[in-house]
Amino acid sequence: MSSVANKSSDAANSNSGRVERHKLADRLYHWIMALAVVSLMTTAFLPILGIKFEWVTIHWISGIVLALCVAFHMIRALGWQDKWLMIIDARDLSNGVRILKRSLGQASPAPVKPGKYNGLQKLYHLGVAFFILALIGSGILMLMKIDTPFWKRNPYFLDDGDWGLVYTVHGFGAMFMVSMVMIHVYFAIRPDEWHLTRSMFRGWMTRKEYQEHHDASRWQASDKT
Amino acid sequence: MDLDIELFRYSRSIYGGDETIIGANWDLLGFFVAASMTFIVLHIICKIVFLKRIAGSH
Repeated sequence: MSSVANKSSDAANSNSGRVERHKLADRLYHWIMALAVVSLMTTAFLPILGIKFEWVTIHWISGIVLALCVAFHMIRALGWQDKWLMIIDARDLSNGVRILKRSLGQASPAPVKPGKYNGLQKLYHLGVAFFILALIGSGILMLMKIDTPFWKRNPYFLDDGDWGLVYTVHGFGAMFMVSMVMIHVYFAIRPDEWHLTRSMFRGWMTRKEYQEHHDASRWQASDKT
Repeated sequence: MDLDIELFRYSRSIYGGDETIIGANWDLLGFFVAASMTFIVLHIICKIVFLKRIAGSH
């Protein structure tokens, strides 16, 4: 407990001017995954919208890249990082109620600062994780229907009804992801969130931003040298 | 105004039998885009309108 308090105090009082928010491995994962998602959405929807091209090979390879990225992220986040930073907790729910009450003009205590991620960010992560995992799961099944260097296609792996279900899950997952990506890009380009967007490129935020937006006792950011 | 929109795409085997679901209806894509844009516009409006009420939060 005292080491946590000391680290919290060190991050708040260090003189380097910057604190680390995302390590290089996490930033690389994010941007490789972003490229994979853009490739997947492009190859998925342009042919549907009438722009025809040979899309299947690019699509399934991009899907494999996405699946590997997600596997890397899950192993790293669960094994090496603080997974509780992304779990919605009582304080997030309390903050949500306080913000809602204040928005409606009701008397309410001020919402407290979040840890590394606020409640809405955690909720977004939960949603996008659900859709991405549904897409990867259904996508892996659909790989059985194509020839690859590693296996020959077997379209009889499932019957017609089950394939229809798989394609339906994949299709709705894809359309939900279009919405999720649009919302994610919106928040990334909002001026009041630029410190977060910058941190996904540069890996750091200023100490002032850290102290202004985050509770140092809930997220002990280390000094960025 | 006719809002009868199918959620799924269907097909029937050339050998006969019942219609089978083959996937989601891609015409719904526009609704997903519209829903996102609606959320974004509403969020911008709410931020402007309610910012002062929540301003003392941090």
